[in-house]
Amino acid sequence: METLDITKIALTKYLFFTGKGGVGKTSIACATAVGLVDRDKRILLISTDPASNLQDVFEQELNGHGTDISGVPGLTVVNLDPEQAAAEYRESVIAPYRGKLPESVIRNMEEQLSGSCTVEIAAFNQFSDFITDREKQERYDHILFDTAPTGHTLRMLQLPSAWSTFINESTHGASCLGQLSGLEERKGVYQQAVKTLADPGTTLLVLVSRPDKSPLQEAARSSRELQLLGIENQFLIVNGVLQQADERDDISCQLRNRQQEALQGMPETLKDFPAYSVPLRSYNLSNVAAIRRMLSEDDLLFGVPYKPLEGGKRLDDLVHDLYTSSKRVIFTMGKGGVGKTTLATRIAMGLNSLGAKVHLTTTDPANHLNYDIVTREGIEVSKIDESEVLEAYKNEVRDKARENHITESDMEYIEEDLRSPCTQEIAVFKAFADIVEKAETEIVVIDTAPTGHTLLLLDATESYHHEVERTRGEISGAVAKLLPRLRNPDETEVVIVTLPEATPVFEAERLQQDLHRAGIHNKWWVVNSCLSLTRTTNPFLQAKAASELGWIGKVNELSGNNTALVEWQNL
Amino acid sequence: MKTIEIFDPAMCCPTGLCGPNINPELFRIAVVLETLKRKGILVARHNLRDEPQLYVSNKIVNDYLMEHGVDGLPVTLVDNKIEVMGSYPTTDQLSEWTGINLNDIPEINN
Repeated sequence: METLDITKIALTKYLFFTGKGGVGKTSIACATAVGLVDRDKRILLISTDPASNLQDVFEQELNGHGTDISGVPGLTVVNLDPEQAAAEYRESVIAPYRGKLPESVIRNMEEQLSGSCTVEIAAFNQFSDFITDREKQERYDHILFDTAPTGHTLRMLQLPSAWSTFINESTHGASCLGQLSGLEERKGVYQQAVKTLADPGTTLLVLVSRPDKSPLQEAARSSRELQLLGIENQFLIVNGVLQQADERDDISCQLRNRQQEALQGMPETLKDFPAYSVPLRSYNLSNVAAIRRMLSEDDLLFGVPYKPLEGGKRLDDLVHDLYTSSKRVIFTMGKGGVGKTTLATRIAMGLNSLGAKVHLTTTDPANHLNYDIVTREGIEVSKIDESEVLEAYKNEVRDKARENHITESDMEYIEEDLRSPCTQEIAVFKAFADIVEKAETEIVVIDTAPTGHTLLLLDATESYHHEVERTRGEISGAVAKLLPRLRNPDETEVVIVTLPEATPVFEAERLQQDLHRAGIHNKWWVVNSCLSLTRTTNPFLQAKAASELGWIGKVNELSGNNTALVEWQNL
Repeated sequence: MKTIEIFDPAMCCPTGLCGPNINPELFRIAVVLETLKRKGILVARHNLRDEPQLYVSNKIVNDYLMEHGVDGLPVTLVDNKIEVMGSYPTTDQLSEWTGINLNDIPEINN
């Protein structure tokens, strides 16, 4: 695979960098932007990365409108925060009614505007403004977006097309759409944004990945989904390819082999596109000078002599604590790719070997569980398949409707609501409740789906809990019991899983805050894949290991030292 | 013909499919109103989340809300008078107000 050289690529007006959190989208977008400015191009860089350290990199305050970077003349940077935009949107809707409606009514409105749709709407809203802005189109040679993580990006991009059908087909006040007041007047902007994205002459999609199986699969998935949306002009950047492996150093050989295997076994979809690599760097991309070197220089900066990290807690300490404190429901939570499934499996096996009866559940569509080994140990394993549970839920509703002798034409009405984006969340939530119910007799270990999704479930849990109290609808035992159980620290533990790197730690920190807001207990953290616990002699890996220490320290702080470190392993 | 208006609390969707379980009451009212609509009779149904302004500008509803809070919703107005508080009108009530026999709609109960 050729090393990335931006001068050799036919660049379009708009460039979108997409990929899982932590693959280096922001760094690469930033390096591309600076590289282009150095070739006398005028560049607008729009960042939606919540972990972005762009303010530190450029040593300048950034905002949502655009800041000219004094150290890099010709570069303008915009920093967007979809969460904040959602909060602002929510407030703009509610503010006029404060004092005019009773407090309980205001809270009811706030709750309904805190759903997943609101953040997505707010994000896409900001996003589409930049894609359709004529003045910016003329002022800049290229406009670069380092978008939020893949799933989110996909939803954002999918929304308008989903919505335009939704709006057209909708025969009644359709669910989640009502919340964007004035949606119709924005429809033109959304449509134009989508049209621009699907125009190969104007838009190039840059899939960013790491040379690892799971991020490459994720990239392939995004790629396919975006192709289906008509975005076909794509290319792939594989970031962090180890250039030199020292034959006497096991770790670097294993890592190189694993990377090379992953690259050779790359999903077919990705092979249709040009692919470039960016070498693993031994330095942090913490300032403009380092950013400039990222895509050009390969030389090694020697650091301090390396020593593996000692002390601290390990996974055994965590398992032992969960066992002695008699936890019944255990979640491993974190963004995709941090190793939640593997860790859930190891925790389940650890508890099992201490004599506990364990049920392991996975929601991971990529499913890394090694069923054979786990079931041989006597652990029961179950799976939540989103599309399956969705279909099951729909059928349940249809059956109920038929039981009530609903006519065919009324059925159409029901089907309309079943198409709403909420339905999937509900369906997964129900499946989830049924499994937690099993903790009556067993310890349930669940590896939840990626963060955004997980939070939806928890948010959902909360608002449905209220809803359950309010309505006299039927309440299944599993759903009604779920939230109090999740909130009971004697019964439930949420293990936050992260990696010793900037973006994963930042994402995990947000997850922790959200858990606390939802009243869910969290004691333990796991920092997975620590190179700093290995005895590598490879200077590149040693440099990377050294950069982990700050992040491990940060996690120790966040967890009150309840952090289990897990060594990098060749899986 | 009487004017019927229903003021809902903030809800995700009018059939209540977005709850943890299907709420038969929401289900019933959605289907009955849809049937009326097909027969050319429009019963206005407002969602607090989407049309909060109406809950302020309609003095009857606003006074009612100030007194009862969100738990007082849904509330039904017939010819601008509060007829049903804290729940939905029955199918019989709707038949009476609209003069349309809704009893040929299958009963929806659980």
